[in-house]
Amino acid sequence: MTRVLIADDEEAPREQLLAALKQAWPSAQVVAAAGNGVDAWDAFLEHEPDVCFLDIRMPGLSGIDVARRIGDQAQVVFVTAFGDHAVAAFDAGAVDYLLKPVDAERLAQAVQRLRARRSPATADGAAGMQALLRQLAEQMRRPAPLAVLQAGVGREVRMIRTDEVIYFESDSRYTRVVHASGDALIRTPLKELLAQLDEQVFWQVHRSVIVNHRHIAAAVRVDEGHIHLALRGRSETLPVSRHFQALFKGQ
Amino acid sequence: MPHKPIEWCQLLHPGPKRAFTTDEMARAGSDSPSPTLLASAAINFAAIAFVVLQLAPASQTARLSAALVALAVLGSAAARWLWWRPWARPLLQAQLGVTATVVLMVLGISWRVPDRADREAIALALILGVSLLVTALWFLVVWRANQIEARLREQAEREKAIEMARRLAAAQMEPHFLFNTLASVQHWVQTKDDRAAALLAALTGYLRATLPMFNRPMVAAKEELAAVERYLQVMQARMGTRLVWRCDVDEALQGLQLPPGVLLTLVENAVVHGLEPQLGGGELVLRGRAQGAIAHIEVIDNGPGPHPAIQEGVGLTNIRARLALACGTKASLTLGPAPDGGFRAELQLPLKMDKS
Repeated sequence: MTRVLIADDEEAPREQLLAALKQAWPSAQVVAAAGNGVDAWDAFLEHEPDVCFLDIRMPGLSGIDVARRIGDQAQVVFVTAFGDHAVAAFDAGAVDYLLKPVDAERLAQAVQRLRARRSPATADGAAGMQALLRQLAEQMRRPAPLAVLQAGVGREVRMIRTDEVIYFESDSRYTRVVHASGDALIRTPLKELLAQLDEQVFWQVHRSVIVNHRHIAAAVRVDEGHIHLALRGRSETLPVSRHFQALFKGQ
Repeated sequence: MPHKPIEWCQLLHPGPKRAFTTDEMARAGSDSPSPTLLASAAINFAAIAFVVLQLAPASQTARLSAALVALAVLGSAAARWLWWRPWARPLLQAQLGVTATVVLMVLGISWRVPDRADREAIALALILGVSLLVTALWFLVVWRANQIEARLREQAEREKAIEMARRLAAAQMEPHFLFNTLASVQHWVQTKDDRAAALLAALTGYLRATLPMFNRPMVAAKEELAAVERYLQVMQARMGTRLVWRCDVDEALQGLQLPPGVLLTLVENAVVHGLEPQLGGGELVLRGRAQGAIAHIEVIDNGPGPHPAIQEGVGLTNIRARLALACGTKASLTLGPAPDGGFRAELQLPLKMDKS
């Protein structure tokens, strides 16, 4: 059974797509319907769906950002309103997209194409798509990465510079921040933090772990399918989940 | 003062440096010389011819007249040729051509005239004539080049104004906004959700208010605020609890005249760039106060605030241009961070519009 993820920040278009998809593709199972890019990416890591329908303009992470992170791990169909400048790029790059309000016939065509090429795209196609998405992502306006974290500890609020952070880890309702001189808990969920950090410095390696790559000493293959990260000057190790293992493939 | 080098090519052959393209000549220089211009050229030439004939010995009048007629034909041909190519290089070519012809003419006549004094008189008269002609050609080219340049400039300005109006209309009727709204309407109609009727009413109100609004140079703040509220109602329906908004405007401002779409653009910017990108959405406040003869209007959001690397877009450039056009220096638009984080746009306008 094909597992599907849907993401749109507005309720009605999301519900509409959900209803239309039920008609056009009764055998598909919608595993998540996310209301923003951050939830969409988190739900992707949780459910590992085969197909993702992503709205482009979403708060947190845009549909382009989410698709870039998904890479060739799932088939992506963008959903957007007429007038989005990305549409021209999609037309040129043969990327699947649907226009809102979603038209039943167009959706049926898209579903047919998805079913026809069930296996992930060819390496060339995937690389071309990644290049296109990277280009589109660069054109988007985004806020400057977070420079300082504020962690409440007892009566004081500690200011932690993000460049001193070694790693972040989800801890039930909080996020644990491990930095050079100790650790602290903050209320911002890890999935939201992810969208505010500098991607070049902070690598997500697990649904619940983001690590400052400068502190990674080695990636150790424990057994088939399991990798652990050893950190510089620290005894603890961090798990790398399946989706992120391609980050550590050696040269 | 920076040191400017001597432009040697201008000393060698002066004239307008800019060569117009075929397209530019077709757009701004396709007209023939006006009859007035031709008449004034003819009168000037006749006056010069008269003076030349007076100065020359009576015995040579016939020869000189023939030479002057030849000069007139030559001059008008050169002028006509330059009319379609008024820049430095053709000017030089025409001037050299005319001078060479006249020199040959002088040599030809001198050969047949036995008397030395007569020869000199004819040569002097013709050289005077040719220098006047060469100068006249130079004047013609400069004048014609200025005329074409002014026309091109005027055309460019007119095109800019049209482009600005077109962009303004496009910015207001952003298809992304329209189709996203229609997506919600369609779904709620299909599912018989009551929100469909309210959203459709707000969208209709917004369209009705904005479409005729942009045809006028100025609108009353009351009308503009009605459009702003309709817009916020539409976005409220779409964003749900993620959007909180408040409009608080003094009664005294209701009659204020302002260029259409100014407040709407500021509010749209706040929603699209300030609130929509936030995970939890946010709050927008529109506040209008009268202080003396000045209206202060603020649009504040609690989004991420100004981004150092982002330049002002078409919408804001448009607003500034139209404010300057309508109110001159009395209107101002200030953009910056809000006191509690977020973005703040402040508009100041004279309450009473005097046409002076």
